Amino acid sequence: MYDAHVDRVYRLAFRLAGDDDLARDFTQETFIRAFERIGTFRGESRLSTWLHAIATTVSLNGLRKVKRFRTRETALEAADGVAGGVRSAEPDLKTRLRHAIDALPDKYRTVVVMHDMEGYTHEEIAAALDMEVGTSKAQLSRARAKLRESLADFAGEWVS
Amino acid sequence: MNDDRFEQQIHDAVREYHRPPETPRDEMWAAIEAERRRRRNAPRVVVLRPFWRWGIGMAAVLVLGIAIGRRLQFGTGGPPASSVSAPSRPGDGLAYQLAAAQHLTRAEIVLTNFRADARAGARPDSQFLNQARDLLGSTRLLLDSPAGRDPRLKPLLEDLEVILAQIAVLSASRDTADVEIINQGIDQRSVLTRLQTAFPAGSAPARAQGAI
Repeated sequence: MYDAHVDRVYRLAFRLAGDDDLARDFTQETFIRAFERIGTFRGESRLSTWLHAIATTVSLNGLRKVKRFRTRETALEAADGVAGGVRSAEPDLKTRLRHAIDALPDKYRTVVVMHDMEGYTHEEIAAALDMEVGTSKAQLSRARAKLRESLADFAGEWVS
Repeated sequence: MNDDRFEQQIHDAVREYHRPPETPRDEMWAAIEAERRRRRNAPRVVVLRPFWRWGIGMAAVLVLGIAIGRRLQFGTGGPPASSVSAPSRPGDGLAYQLAAAQHLTRAEIVLTNFRADARAGARPDSQFLNQARDLLGSTRLLLDSPAGRDPRLKPLLEDLEVILAQIAVLSASRDTADVEIINQGIDQRSVLTRLQTAFPAGSAPARAQGAI
């Protein structure tokens, strides 16, 4: 199980966390839980679906804890005017897009990461996140709309 | 650059977001094995959720009360406990009264939260529903104990049992009409007011609770 799935689990954890240490922690915890609970796997879904459900839960819960620790730090930086998000200071589309994705609500960001970056199907996402397929599609659509909105000044510049 | 080109640029840039390095398979496997070994060797600690702690405490007080009651009755040569009405001596019923006081306080908290959640349109989570089911069980235990023969407590416990039974069968996706009916029941029977005044501050059970 580890050999067959570790790459995909680690990639997902890294995409969500953006940090190697966190991605390793989340991947390790995912497999530890999977080994502990393998007896409860009833075979109603594919093993990979079950495993990715554990991986997303572990990663998102872990990120929430990390965010709580970092909130104070970020607030202090913002107060100092460090996190400005000024257009002229960040002219690169990729940088702007990274910030825009970071700013998405967790549920939207997770769907974008899973679908657009890691190639999960909506069925796989729905199973992993315990939602309807239609909800996954709707969240991806809303996430893309938010990204387009965030980068509208780039589009306007190019169109003109 | 047109919209399609812009979309393509976004699509390409998205793939660069947090691009993962090569998977450190061996290092992670070693860490997983070490952590599993550590957890296997670590002593197991059972952590009870708050509502379980309350439930177990209530059950323990009830069992203790029943045991004391039976012992006193057999000791005085009286009839078996099952055929005895409410305790005749003030000391005999103290354990039941104490259990009832704790139970009613907890019920008051749960019902107050239920009404507050209903007003806010929030759904009850599984922990809340478990709490209600746990309370329902304790209410039945109290009704079957000498506390349930107290003419002042019995009608209140019976009304509480009905309300809790209605709450306990609510699912997480509850119907607002059901919630409204439960709230009407609470109002019409003045359940919350009666819970608040069942054991006035300074009464024996209230003092005993304070001592505990």
